[in-house]
Amino acid sequence: MSYLQTTTDFFSTVALRRALQKRALGWARKRQGSDQLITRLISRRIYILPTAVGFVFGIMVFTMLLGSMNYNNNLSFLLTFMLAGIGFVAMHQCQRNLVGLEIAFAGVDPTFAGQVAVYKIAISNHSKNRRGHLQIYVGSISSHIDDLLPGESRVFHLEVPTTKRGRIQLTRFGIRTLFPFELFRAWAWLHMDLTGLVYPKPAAEVPLPPATQTAHGHRQHDARGEEDFAGLRRFHEGDSPRHVAWKAYARTGDMLSKLFSGADTSSQWFDFDQVSVADVEQRLAILTRWIVDADRAQVDYGLRLTGEEYGPAHGESHRHKCLEALALHENTAPYIIHK
Amino acid sequence: MSKRIGTDGSLLTSLPWTLAALAFSVLPHLPFLPMWATATFVLCCAWRWQIERKRWRLPPAWSRIVLAFVCFVSVYLSYDGAVSGVGPGSALLAVMAALKLLETKKRRDQFVLLFISIFLIMSSLLREQFLWSFPYLIAGVILTMTAWLHMSESRRTSIGGSLTSALRIAGYAAPLMIAMWIFFPRIATPFWAVPIDTSAATSGLSDRMSPGDISSLSQSDKVAFRVSFDDEIPPPHKRYWRGYILHTFNGRTWTGSEPSIDRTAKSEVSYDGSPVSYQVTMEPTQQHSVFALDIPEDWDLRQTNMGPQHQLARIHPIDQRITYRVTSYPDSRLNVNLGSFWQERYTSLPKDSNQETFALAIQMREAAGSDEVFINQVLQKFNTEEFFYTLEPPVLGADPVDRFLFDSRRGFCEHYASAFAVLMRAAGIPSRVVLGYQGGEINPMGRYMIVRQADAHAWNEVWLPKRGWYRIDPTAAVAPERIEEGRSSAMFDGIGASWGLNAPSEFLYQLTLTWDVINTKWNEWVLAYGPDNQSQFMEWLGMENPDWRKMMLTLIAILIALIGIISLLLVIRYRPPPKDDAARLYAKFTNATGVSPSTGETPSAYCKRVRETLSSNAPNEITELYLQARYGPEGNDEIPRLRTAITEFAREARV
Repeated sequence: MSYLQTTTDFFSTVALRRALQKRALGWARKRQGSDQLITRLISRRIYILPTAVGFVFGIMVFTMLLGSMNYNNNLSFLLTFMLAGIGFVAMHQCQRNLVGLEIAFAGVDPTFAGQVAVYKIAISNHSKNRRGHLQIYVGSISSHIDDLLPGESRVFHLEVPTTKRGRIQLTRFGIRTLFPFELFRAWAWLHMDLTGLVYPKPAAEVPLPPATQTAHGHRQHDARGEEDFAGLRRFHEGDSPRHVAWKAYARTGDMLSKLFSGADTSSQWFDFDQVSVADVEQRLAILTRWIVDADRAQVDYGLRLTGEEYGPAHGESHRHKCLEALALHENTAPYIIHK
Repeated sequence: MSKRIGTDGSLLTSLPWTLAALAFSVLPHLPFLPMWATATFVLCCAWRWQIERKRWRLPPAWSRIVLAFVCFVSVYLSYDGAVSGVGPGSALLAVMAALKLLETKKRRDQFVLLFISIFLIMSSLLREQFLWSFPYLIAGVILTMTAWLHMSESRRTSIGGSLTSALRIAGYAAPLMIAMWIFFPRIATPFWAVPIDTSAATSGLSDRMSPGDISSLSQSDKVAFRVSFDDEIPPPHKRYWRGYILHTFNGRTWTGSEPSIDRTAKSEVSYDGSPVSYQVTMEPTQQHSVFALDIPEDWDLRQTNMGPQHQLARIHPIDQRITYRVTSYPDSRLNVNLGSFWQERYTSLPKDSNQETFALAIQMREAAGSDEVFINQVLQKFNTEEFFYTLEPPVLGADPVDRFLFDSRRGFCEHYASAFAVLMRAAGIPSRVVLGYQGGEINPMGRYMIVRQADAHAWNEVWLPKRGWYRIDPTAAVAPERIEEGRSSAMFDGIGASWGLNAPSEFLYQLTLTWDVINTKWNEWVLAYGPDNQSQFMEWLGMENPDWRKMMLTLIAILIALIGIISLLLVIRYRPPPKDDAARLYAKFTNATGVSPSTGETPSAYCKRVRETLSSNAPNEITELYLQARYGPEGNDEIPRLRTAITEFAREARV
């Protein structure tokens, strides 16, 4: 019975904490409004509370005060009050450590589902003072801790894990500091709409890309031209076993694929409708894998997706266009990271 | 095959400083810690440092538990079962620090070590407070805070940077500390009494006296108290500081009664003559006696009362250095009328001891004819016959007074006081023994007197009708130098060795006196700042009837003001440098366009974007000027031109 009681209490405490946090976040959002992509922190939006170490420190100082009073010992009074004074100063310095910092969104690189999306937040210290112990966080995710020398700017990485393709949106993140003694934690919430893109997760097991037509409509034997040997590259799943350089494999143990440059400058087409899998997500995963491999192989490729045609072309921006189209296929609502 | 995984070396930068802070805090405890505790502490520090450097593994949990058990039992045994008090407390802290070191794995574990370091500093202050304790505690806190910062900050910060931060924070904290120290209300009564086994607490006076049992009297240089007189320092024969009054003799030992309060005591005194006012700063004795010259009329020490024998005593023992002011009337008379009960009590002697002395007294009294003559004859006897003053008298067997008077005839003040009192009582004259201090060394620089433990003295008081109690010092009859001259210049028979005949050089003597002046001032102003001094200081500051509420309110007001100033200083220190003119003007331009610049956009790209909505050529010109002003060679006239252009643009945009 008593055990049950405790567990209920425990859960209700957690629930209470969550509810309070939610209220506080909502209140701060309403109070502050949304932020520019470059925001300078002002003092009225910085919050501060003592840490666990701070509580212990407080209890220690109080105990010391009682001891000093009991023995009427003036030097231990002095010691106690020095520590108390340091506590006061630490509190103010902790808050000041954030005031005036310039926080700027420095982009988020697209990533594949299942990997982390790295939000880059640049923090600049325009003052003549060092800013110690800074950290960016959202929920339980936090960046590394660093300090900023006078006039310095640094980029902090917030690594948000992703699970599914599409847009992800970070609506809020925090910056916090424990400087100088970890007795207090000062933090500020920033409300910026930071949207990132998550490509579908490339499939692991893929069928070979379908034999597609060249730009001229001729059938090809394979995705790549076979006319002229152009070199070797590392074997990828999906490469034809016929193209594996078996001799080289026997000699070195490295699986390499032969590349050929076709005289007819053929390019490969990946068509959503022609992937022989029923599940849409699975199809997208396979297409992603093909595109990634084709990009690595540096051949021209094109993508057909629900009436749209991309390419054929190659290069970084083409790859991004294709993968973005796959990511956003019938999926335009952003996934908001509520942490 | 599992690989032994050692420490990861993540504490390499912070651990040395944590160890340094700990070692610095243990330093003042070293003379008091048992050898094994010091050894454990030092070994654990060295061991832990090697573990970190060589990436060894920490000792396994079971060995730490065993070690902890052994250490705690050792503390218990070293202090005979005492676990409270400064001695065992600081030994426990030192051992705890050593044990905690052996399980310190993470960076944050060092917090505990730093907390222990602070407690160690605190307990050293409870044990003893010297002049150097103040710089020591400041240095200790700054070292601990530096180690703390160094632990908490990134690896990019040097120890110098951490030290600078710690010093700066301590500098800001200093005014807060001083304000709190001055205004925080001091209370007179302790909450609980824990014995402070201060080995430095000077041995006070004994409250009993058995002259025959002691074969040598140690001469302690320790200070009993210091006195500064408002006016002239009274002559030596008036500098008797009464402590215990012993009224009962069992043939061997004189005893008194526990200090008590006697509300009528003051009415038994006829205050006479001119008053002497002075301030006493007394070292802790753990006893109740409060020393004053005869006879105190007014004193400002709380909870201090006059006892039945007109001596002062505080209700709880003097466990800290205290300062108090007294006004005494040296020529007062005591108990002019003494009831017969008391007359009988002060003449009682055990029937079956010291018979020879008893007989001698009867015989001398009959020959003398009157009490006054008798007293003088006894003193004459001490003075003219072969009595010697020595600090190393022989041990006396049964009937010690007989043996002293008729055989050994060697002794110090206690022997003479005891013999004199027995002679008086045997002759029917009420008499008692007083233990206290006599004399003292005058420090010409500070215009005050130092009374040391070596100035402890015993003398007598006899009661005569119409005169009341009055003081007689039989030792003065034997060795008048003991009374009339300062201890440092007196050379007595047989005691040269114990004093060290090599008199200190004049320079050293001066140096000692100067040092004592500084110490005295420090004691008076800082260490003895208690409820009484605080009230006086508050009154001096202009607070009427100071009480704790007023002090607290004042303190809070001052703290708010100080914290305001500190946060203002911080605002100034963290203020960003002013934007340059070009950037400010450019911001005005971007406001006026109605197109907000996006992150990382160059001015040229922004300009292109603006031109999509505006047909005017002004943005091109402005951007060109801005880039010139910002990044071009210095000292050109772009800024005024930029200002004109932007003002023009802003006006047009508004229209």
